[in-house]
Amino acid sequence: MTTNAFGSVLETLTRQRGVRASLIVSETDGLIVDATLRVGQDGDRVAALAASLFRKARLSAAAARLGDVAFMQMDAEQGRICAVGGKSDLVLMVVAEPTANVGLIRVELLKALETLA
Amino acid sequence: MIIATVEGWVEAPLARYVEEARARLALLLHPSGQVVAQAGFTRSTDVMTACALAAAVHATSKELGRQVDGSGFRVLHHGGTDKQLHLAAVDLGRVAYICLTVFDEESSLGLVRMYFGDLCRELAAAAPEQPAKGPSLGLDFERELNHNLSALFGRA
Repeated sequence: MTTNAFGSVLETLTRQRGVRASLIVSETDGLIVDATLRVGQDGDRVAALAASLFRKARLSAAAARLGDVAFMQMDAEQGRICAVGGKSDLVLMVVAEPTANVGLIRVELLKALETLA
Repeated sequence: MIIATVEGWVEAPLARYVEEARARLALLLHPSGQVVAQAGFTRSTDVMTACALAAAVHATSKELGRQVDGSGFRVLHHGGTDKQLHLAAVDLGRVAYICLTVFDEESSLGLVRMYFGDLCRELAAAAPEQPAKGPSLGLDFERELNHNLSALFGRA
């Protein structure tokens, strides 16, 4: 993939140590807009589930009167998913190794989000 | 949610699909319009109408696909204000069905697509070696249709 304007943003994210995949996903539809994936990775599945999670987090934060969700992180046994979203429908997400540096990924995701805005 | 099936082996995969995809309504039917299973409908007339319309829309998009793309379109998605529908072919080798799914903001097209793939795999694994009975559009069609609707809504 990465054949359009999002390519450089995704490539920058994927270059981070421990990052397995980076995706730009429509929050409403849960569909991939663009992605860099390793061979064999099921991007559609990650995109659908993570977009759904992000949407739920955003709605929960709004219901709790906490404002917008700035950053979402889900740690699992064999990897972690980090996601950021802005005012638009797009969610930027990264699938990383459990040992990856989340702080660095977070900074890069927020920088990438500014680029997309 | 009320789930009713004409063929028992369909029930578990369909129930799982409806729950995981958070669908509001689901309908599994033969391309002729005969119902195989339904989830979420409360009136037989609604099922009958939905089956007829879904079969017609599927046939139309299949033919349109054949004309513009050389092969029939297999998946159709419509987005409404509150609800969306996903209409797709379920090919089980010996027998083919159509699955109509209605969902709202609780779900998303991505989730429905993903779990629809799982549903197809589960149905293929659960399908009996010999289909129970082929659908018919001849003299028995109306009787079969009424029988299926009665079975779904407990009046068999």
